[in-house]
Amino acid sequence: MEINIATHDGATVLALTGRVDTTTASDLEQAINREIERGNRRLLVNFAGVSYISSGGLRVLLATAKKLRTENDRYALCCLSAEVHKVLKLAGFTSIFSIYPSEGEALAKW
Amino acid sequence: MPSGNELLTPLTWQPVPGAGGAQCYPIIRKIDTISSNSYLLRTPDALLLIDPGGLAEQADHLASVIRECRKEHYLPLVVFLTHAHVDHFLSLCQSPALSDPTKSTIAIHEIGAISLAEGDRNVTQAAILGMEITGVEIGLRLLSREGAATPGIPVTLTFPSGASITTIRDMVSTASGAPTQRERITFGAGEGFEIYHTPGHSPDSICLRFGRMLFIGDMLFAANPGVAGLCGWSQDSLVDSIDTITPLIMGDEIDIVCPGHGRVIPVATARTMLNSIRRDAVALRDIKELNTERSQTTAVFAEECLEHVSELFTIMAGRLYYVSYVIDELGDADMAEHLGTLIRSDTVDEMLEGFSAFSEEYRSGKQQPIHLALKAAQVIAKIERSFDGEALARIIEPTQISRAGRLLSDYTTTLRGFSPPTESSEQNISSILEALIISHSVQACSDDDLLLSADDNDAFVQVLLARIGTPPLLKDVEVMFECPDPTLIAAIDRDRFSDLITEMFEDLVGTGATKIQVTAYTSGSSVSITIAGTGCIRSINERETGFMRRACHDAGGSLIYNCSGAIRQFEITLNQLQ
Repeated sequence: MEINIATHDGATVLALTGRVDTTTASDLEQAINREIERGNRRLLVNFAGVSYISSGGLRVLLATAKKLRTENDRYALCCLSAEVHKVLKLAGFTSIFSIYPSEGEALAKW
Repeated sequence: MPSGNELLTPLTWQPVPGAGGAQCYPIIRKIDTISSNSYLLRTPDALLLIDPGGLAEQADHLASVIRECRKEHYLPLVVFLTHAHVDHFLSLCQSPALSDPTKSTIAIHEIGAISLAEGDRNVTQAAILGMEITGVEIGLRLLSREGAATPGIPVTLTFPSGASITTIRDMVSTASGAPTQRERITFGAGEGFEIYHTPGHSPDSICLRFGRMLFIGDMLFAANPGVAGLCGWSQDSLVDSIDTITPLIMGDEIDIVCPGHGRVIPVATARTMLNSIRRDAVALRDIKELNTERSQTTAVFAEECLEHVSELFTIMAGRLYYVSYVIDELGDADMAEHLGTLIRSDTVDEMLEGFSAFSEEYRSGKQQPIHLALKAAQVIAKIERSFDGEALARIIEPTQISRAGRLLSDYTTTLRGFSPPTESSEQNISSILEALIISHSVQACSDDDLLLSADDNDAFVQVLLARIGTPPLLKDVEVMFECPDPTLIAAIDRDRFSDLITEMFEDLVGTGATKIQVTAYTSGSSVSITIAGTGCIRSINERETGFMRRACHDAGGSLIYNCSGAIRQFEITLNQLQ
């Protein structure tokens, strides 16, 4: 899995490509934690290039939600494929995270 | 290679119990379809090798150990094959050091000798494993019909390898009381073999007793899914063979049982295993032959099944994380932590990702269909031990647990050579669909349930967990149901049909449908059901519908799937009863 990190409108966007599996979930967790440690607490995870997420990936998403819940924090997901959306929706995660169809729509709401 | 156990240390010479100073050098491998264990025995008169295995490097290793043994003085080598399957003998084709008739004599049951002489790719399993074999020159045909004509009379044979072998035939009683042939073979004054014909796994399978060790070939695996039904497999023979070997196992003459694959086992364990294998074998009447064609169709099912299992378990684990998250928010950290133990999701992920990597190898031609089918069985067995279904079903959607369990079970049933069990009966389709829509639209645990449990903390927690864990699937979706005929009857397996419809609802809701239209009507002699979702998100990959088609077939119908932009539609056709 590739993680490209960029800053847009004061938000840190992590764009993922590939599979979020047991191995790569920990890479994602480390990347997210690094951004939080740097003080970047407005995170948008772009799933446009992801067709598979494991339970390990779900755990990382949930752990991040626990870290980013002060008033000024922002945390959202965008560009979910049907496959990833299905897993998140049926697991109940869509009621925890803000999910947007595109990066632009997510950032416009922040 | 596995580390062995206290009974036998791999790659080391050690005494054979009860064999007058004979020694054993075992090669004990992890269980796979590529190569068997090998057991090299050393007596004052000969080197005796049981199953050289299927790998050239294994043969090279054995050849170097044999060379070392011959440094002091030459000893002839006699190679015994427990049966003519490629994983037990293929290295002979690749290693002249073990098969040179001037130094080695190869012995196998006479049925196996014919298979090897004819280069039979089916009986040897070379065809199903995608391997080529060359002829193997057999020196000694064991338990031959010819020898049976002279019971009790010793016959001494000498071979170009220098081996001088004396054989004598007699009869012994089996557990069923029926007599069976035995061949005793000696190589001089030292300990020799007692050999029993034990067909079932293959027509030529033998068991060999040497001292207090019994070399049992593949009998311990003969009733396993993916093994039972192989070309040459026989249920009746297997049961009879277990009876043949039972008196030996139940008596006090054997300490160690050496299987063709995996670790050696104490005789007490072998007794228990053989009882269980016999029970399994008796249940395997009329299974389909596991040939190349069936291994291919099973491999297709393996991929479909594990792809769906992967999605289902990720959703189940995710739902459990979600419940745990909410409970943690409510301040019950202990309960939140406990919930995490109900699925060992790391293990399940690891298994499924291992299968996914194996599947890639299969698609690139590096693995045969039977390997993929067996890998799936191995993964499924581990997944089945990785979740507490009963406890989970009290917290998250119970039909997800039952569907996962049924899917895993269906795969094992199919690999065994049976069709998954279905119960077709006349059912009112209209009322089933209506009931499903209602049950997926209302909260499983009502407000009343919550209030009634309020006086009992444990009961309250359980209801609370279930309420968080099982929100109604269709609660945020507009569902329209149209069925002009309220008495629409068709023949279906009700449970499988209900699961299929639930799968379709989940697919549509999961992919973001905001509206679902369910229509059921008579179409000629059939019942047609259309379930269409609008507002769906596009898939990255074209959706695999093999799983749904198979599920629909098992429920009693056929399926057409259409995806056009934001609309996903399932069309089910059921046979209407006349």
